[in-house]
Amino acid sequence: MSGYRFDKLKILVVDDNQHMRKLVITVLQAFGTTHILEAEDGERAWAIMREANPDVVLLDWQMPGMTGVEFAQMVRTSPKTPNPFVPIIMLTGHTHIDHVRQARDAGVNEFLAKPVSVKGILTRLVSVIEQPRPFVRTSTYFGPCRRRRTGGEYKGTERRSTAEVTAVDG
Amino acid sequence: MPKGPPTELFMPPNLLKTKVGGTIAGLDTAAIKRAEAAMENLKTEFSDWIADDIARFVNAYDAFLATKDHSRCSNLFRASHDLKGQAATFEFPLVARVASSLCKLIATLGSHDKVPLPLVEAHVDAIRVIYRDRIKDVSNLTALTLVEELEKRVTKALAHASHES
Repeated sequence: MSGYRFDKLKILVVDDNQHMRKLVITVLQAFGTTHILEAEDGERAWAIMREANPDVVLLDWQMPGMTGVEFAQMVRTSPKTPNPFVPIIMLTGHTHIDHVRQARDAGVNEFLAKPVSVKGILTRLVSVIEQPRPFVRTSTYFGPCRRRRTGGEYKGTERRSTAEVTAVDG
Repeated sequence: MPKGPPTELFMPPNLLKTKVGGTIAGLDTAAIKRAEAAMENLKTEFSDWIADDIARFVNAYDAFLATKDHSRCSNLFRASHDLKGQAATFEFPLVARVASSLCKLIATLGSHDKVPLPLVEAHVDAIRVIYRDRIKDVSNLTALTLVEELEKRVTKALAHASHES
């Protein structure tokens, strides 16, 4: 069996703190990722998104100007987004459950509380590779399904009133 | 009850898996060790990094104090938030804890006129002292007592503010 080819991934790291960017980039490089893009704020990150269309975004929450949450919402819902499905992993000093919910409601796939660790970054990457969430479109939300995976198939009645499960191309 | 538009649930193609191939079982343990070694190597830079972050934090505090401008309070919150998230990585866990306490105070009380300045100042001084004395041990009794006292005072200030509103 072979390991992942992280060298095939293009990853965007968005954090206003240069030290944190360097730390995360160092870990990603050690995993084998060679194509890493970095941005110090949401505006620059958005420009890079549109130019380079990365495969994964590692995103800080607190930044001057556009916050990480606002950036995630833009990626998911802007008509100009190059990829509304791109996995977004939020790295943040916020730890309260309300913040996790807010990030989830903005369309973030995975949440990683700082301080960061090799294991923390790796498990979130593995999660978006191996256990991608289905996407949901409602009148008020578009993004990864916000129901937490439990590891087993749900056996109760369908609680969404008009759920339709389909596959999409592209 | 009126029916809204239908909820659509769909699974986008897993392009990431297609790109990286491999399996979780075959995860390259050497890569993990490499990453941990790289992180270890970075530790030589941590003292400079924490120094930068603390200098930025103190500047944000000075600017806030000088102007009492709300946007400066946001800068102070952001600088505190950085310390909260990063100081533990940079081997100053008690700095992270004091910064976390300050974040809670600023985030909850919002605008500058509600934030008790002496309590903000006490947090700033605590961070300065813990860093100046290079206290990295979470069980350092003096520092721990200081941190716990600050946390208590924040709890009290928030309870007081909540009672008033």
